[in-house]
Amino acid sequence: MPAGRYKSRSLRRVYTKLPGSKVVVHHKKRKPSKATCAVCGAALKGVPRERPYKMQNMAKTKKRPSRPYGGFLCSKCMRAKLKEKISKPGKNV
Amino acid sequence: MFEIGRLCVKIAGRDAGLKCLVIEVIDSNYVLIDGQTRRRKCNIKHLEPLDKVLKVKKGLAHDEVLKELKKEGIEVKKIVKRKKKAKSEETKTEERPEVKKETKKQEKPEIKKEIPKEKPAAKPKKAVKKAEAKPKKTAVKKSSAKKAKAKKTGKAKKSSTKTKTKAKTTKK
Repeated sequence: MPAGRYKSRSLRRVYTKLPGSKVVVHHKKRKPSKATCAVCGAALKGVPRERPYKMQNMAKTKKRPSRPYGGFLCSKCMRAKLKEKISKPGKNV
Repeated sequence: MFEIGRLCVKIAGRDAGLKCLVIEVIDSNYVLIDGQTRRRKCNIKHLEPLDKVLKVKKGLAHDEVLKELKKEGIEVKKIVKRKKKAKSEETKTEERPEVKKETKKQEKPEIKKEIPKEKPAAKPKKAVKKAEAKPKKTAVKKSSAKKAKAKKTGKAKKSSTKTKTKAKTTKK
């Protein structure tokens, strides 16, 4: 029987295979929600979904796409925004 | 729409938001661009045309593209920075091998010096070894002598057994 604190589903279960081919359940904290586009709310690609302690050790280039508004807007919304900027120069879009 | 000399803004990828000139029309879909962006083939879908069309030859060199853009008031900062970086890198790379060579040169004579130092030091060691080895040899000799004795005895025993077997055979 698992210990009482592992019975609740607030922790996620990770099945890991040990070197002796024995499968064991590890209990880990749940991952945060996916990063989303600030305009359309779609899930962002190229943004890892990890806990802060893992994000801390990642390189900046691994945490977001290297384009303007990368990691903030999706590519479609970014294009739309750039087009707006071109058509209406001087305005803060 | 995307004829040679058209000023554009790139709207996709890492060069998004940068201005460029169309230098060559490759295809109905693709175009060669240069300017603030890298000089590269580009899909028309990734470009947003501006109003201006410059009078430019086909396949213009990079430096001339920069001049044309300067006339329009578009300065290409990034590429200038890259050049500086490249220069600094070159200087660094030039310095590094020199340092390496120096270190190597320094190391090699040191090693040479060390080797002759070691050789005279090694000679007395050998003498010591010999001195140590002599008693060992004697010990070996003793042991070998013992072994030899044992062998002799063993041989003798064997010979005796052989003789016995021979005797048995003879008896039979």
